[in-house]
Amino acid sequence: MAIVKLDKVTRSFGVKQVLCGVSLQIEKGDIFGLLGPSGAGKTTLVNILTGQLSCGGTAEIFGMNCGRIGREVYRRTGAVLDNCGLYERLTCMDNMKLFARIHHISAARIAETLREVGLNGSERLRVKSLSKGMRQRLQLARAILHTPELLFLDEPTSGLDPATAEEIHALMRRLRENGTTLFLTTHNMDEAYRLCDRIALLHEGQIVEEGQPAAICRRHCSDSELHIVTSDGEELSLPNLPENAEAVAAMMRKGKLRAIHSAEPDLGTVFLRLTGKELTQ
Amino acid sequence: MTTTLALLHKQIKDSLCNFQALMVMLIYPLVAFVMITALGSEDGMSGMFVTMFATMHASFAPLVTASNILSEEKEKGTLRALIMTGVSRRQYLMSVSLFVVSVTLLTGSAFLVMDAFTREHIAAFAAAMLCGAVLSTLAGLCVGIVSRNVSAANGMAVPIGLVTALLPMLARFNESLDCAARYLYSGQISRVLDGGELTGEFAAIMAAYAVLLTALLAFLFKKKGLE
Repeated sequence: MAIVKLDKVTRSFGVKQVLCGVSLQIEKGDIFGLLGPSGAGKTTLVNILTGQLSCGGTAEIFGMNCGRIGREVYRRTGAVLDNCGLYERLTCMDNMKLFARIHHISAARIAETLREVGLNGSERLRVKSLSKGMRQRLQLARAILHTPELLFLDEPTSGLDPATAEEIHALMRRLRENGTTLFLTTHNMDEAYRLCDRIALLHEGQIVEEGQPAAICRRHCSDSELHIVTSDGEELSLPNLPENAEAVAAMMRKGKLRAIHSAEPDLGTVFLRLTGKELTQ
Repeated sequence: MTTTLALLHKQIKDSLCNFQALMVMLIYPLVAFVMITALGSEDGMSGMFVTMFATMHASFAPLVTASNILSEEKEKGTLRALIMTGVSRRQYLMSVSLFVVSVTLLTGSAFLVMDAFTREHIAAFAAAMLCGAVLSTLAGLCVGIVSRNVSAANGMAVPIGLVTALLPMLARFNESLDCAARYLYSGQISRVLDGGELTGEFAAIMAAYAVLLTALLAFLFKKKGLE
């Protein structure tokens, strides 16, 4: 069942067209990744989906037009967005309590959520004294406090150290296992490849490729090259041509073949081939 | 109601940790107290100081506080976070208004112990302070809506606040200014606090400002939203 549907969504700021006919669907329980370089339109799309921006075309979540979403839809969604701040002068617990009261959630659930994101023990710390990683975790805790069905994450690991980023990835996987649908925007291709069930590559407001990350990489495997590792540990690259078949077969017969791989490009290379631009630009 | 109370609770805690906000709300009662303690023994001085500083308090403090709260929430993105949890924009504005008006009246009540008020005068004082707090809060919300950040809000709120706060005081020394101040809501508040009564003119001017500022707030809210 698709819980997010976009059909020919357009949006411009003045004369600049930021989104040009974006169409996609996100199924329940998926981690969907929207990849693109800075300025591709990722945040604009998230802002449209969270009802903060109007758009042309059709944008729906839970079957409701995003331009008219209200309390009922907001209660079913959570968001960790760059522009959604925390109350810096208040403590972690005070920040959580405010949102718990709004959602009618018990104090026990606050403690459970803070434990889930690894912030137990930091309840009394003021937000202004937290590190970037801790703030990000607190934002995540706030977003999942009411157990949303759909969670928007705009560059959730941007600027974080690898260990913290990995903890956030683990939490995202746990959320998916519990049935939460995640909409993730990132320009980190490795993060998207490892986490997402489906991704879309966004370039200058248009989706240039969409599907499962591995399938996209296979689809763009135009090098037709095989990577071979021999039993001696030697690494070879062979063109995937009929005349090399006998050489590979001979290695196998002699037990000299340890591994053989096709040479799919990574998502960054796919993006570069499709757009002529680096994903991280 | 739960949401409004939650927002009020948050605002109280946040303001208690915010020295600048506390100072804006306490500065005029404190200055009045110091002035009266230092010079109040002279005839009529305490009454003059109470009128002057209470007028300033009712016109300046709510304006600056309301605009600061709203613009800071916009700047930091906390308002967006609230709205994305289902808090309606009207609910938010109501809670900010309720907080600002309540704190203005609470801190303004300090003026009551600085001068000898009769029972009738206390009622007039309360009515004048309430009108001032509500109107200045409406003006502060208008400033907050059009300002992107705290600096911009202060850049607009402080001059407006100074004009409304200081004009009634300067009007004491200049007849032309007195004529102008008469049509300013803070001028009317000053007259009531100065021992005057709640007249029809006071009610008419307060009502006119209430209609004007509510209409302006509604227009800006519709045009610019809260974000």
